[in-house]
Amino acid sequence: MVNLVRAELRKLLSLPTAWVGLVLGTLVAPVIVLLNAPYTRRAIADGTLTDLSDLGLRDLGIGLIGPMVLGVIVVSSEYTSTARDAPGARQLTATLIAVPHRLRLLGAKTTALVLVVAAQAAVTTAATLALTQLLHGAHAPLPAPARIAAAILYWTLTALLAYAITLITRNGIVPLTLLIINSSVVSVSYLLTKVTDLASYLPDIVGAQMFIRGTDFPVEVPPMTAGLVMTAWIVALLAVGAVLFQRRDA
Amino acid sequence: MNTARAELRKLLTLPSLRRTALLTWAATVLLTYAYASAESHGEPLGDDAALAPLGYTQAGFLVLGVLAATSEYQEGDQIRTTVLAMPRRLPLQVAKALALAALTLPVAAATAATSTLPADGATWTPAATAYLTLTTVLAAAVATVVRSAVPAAILLLGLYFVAGPLLRAGSTASAAYLPDTAALDPSHGAVATIAWTLAALTLAALTFRYRDA
Repeated sequence: MVNLVRAELRKLLSLPTAWVGLVLGTLVAPVIVLLNAPYTRRAIADGTLTDLSDLGLRDLGIGLIGPMVLGVIVVSSEYTSTARDAPGARQLTATLIAVPHRLRLLGAKTTALVLVVAAQAAVTTAATLALTQLLHGAHAPLPAPARIAAAILYWTLTALLAYAITLITRNGIVPLTLLIINSSVVSVSYLLTKVTDLASYLPDIVGAQMFIRGTDFPVEVPPMTAGLVMTAWIVALLAVGAVLFQRRDA
Repeated sequence: MNTARAELRKLLTLPSLRRTALLTWAATVLLTYAYASAESHGEPLGDDAALAPLGYTQAGFLVLGVLAATSEYQEGDQIRTTVLAMPRRLPLQVAKALALAALTLPVAAATAATSTLPADGATWTPAATAYLTLTTVLAAAVATVVRSAVPAAILLLGLYFVAGPLLRAGSTASAAYLPDTAALDPSHGAVATIAWTLAALTLAALTFRYRDA
């Protein structure tokens, strides 16, 4: 199993697109904190920004494009054609010859993805919070360790969400479009919460409540429950993806 | 003329384009309904309800352009056959852009009408149709340079849905120079959309002309 995980890690880290996701996802949030620093300072001085407990953590959301790209690419790269002169030649064929046991393969892939994304989340969370402390330290206390851990968990679960959807669609475009639109400033899920309260339990909305204390959620879910609901979504989608991966012709 | 017709037929026979167009339209219906019902509850969602759904579903048009352009480079490398049949690359590139625009126009019109008409924004329908068509052509031009569907989609969606809103929030002055401002504010960003589309088309034509297929 260790060898499998190592192989999957090497495959993932040798994809140029994966590095786009790694670099983008790691840098966007700290850069935003840096760029927004003058506005944030002014807002704090004017008293327009009163709730400071989310400062820093809230900026992490914008970097989620990184884990999304990683989660999608780890599956979709197996399905893209590898040779110009051999249509239908895909990396997955070679992968399955090397590891015929599909669930073991999936386990290794999932582990590799979780390792990479958790490391990325830890680095970017640390950088973002350190910058926030440096810039606005006098006004914003460092969030509790549990909230920081929850933010890292949220990143990892988001990558797994992208990964599970790609396992089902076997195509990178659909999950990417869905997830990136949903990570924009006003997400579609957030719009849906205005229509029905049920939308508060969509994975991205409920998951954010694990570490964001803001009050603009229509249904307040305690952090622990929020984490469990999001995990339930991921487990359900991963289960569907795993069954399809095992049963469908590669 | 024959080239344009051939390109149009190639696009019409791509199942992925049909699916994308259908999903985009369905998503627009859903979002228009969401905006309308939020408004009837007395808590409007902020942006202009006539155009706001299109701000999201323009992603479908970006994907449409990406898929149309990269279909030539996917397995089997259809582009080699294409340039064998039509060796003069610049006219080929023009025909491709025209065929895609012709294919997109009815989809864009239907989607724009779906969003604008229920919100009493009929005056915006032509502008929104033109914007969505130009966006598709721009996406296809970018994808012609990138030549691979997933990276092109990441690039475009990242620019339109992550970088664009951030830049506009950071400095309102930049709005007039971004290609996607016109989605929500046609009177403000139309020039930028046209300029970016022409620039992307020129870049695509030049790379297509001078790079090995």
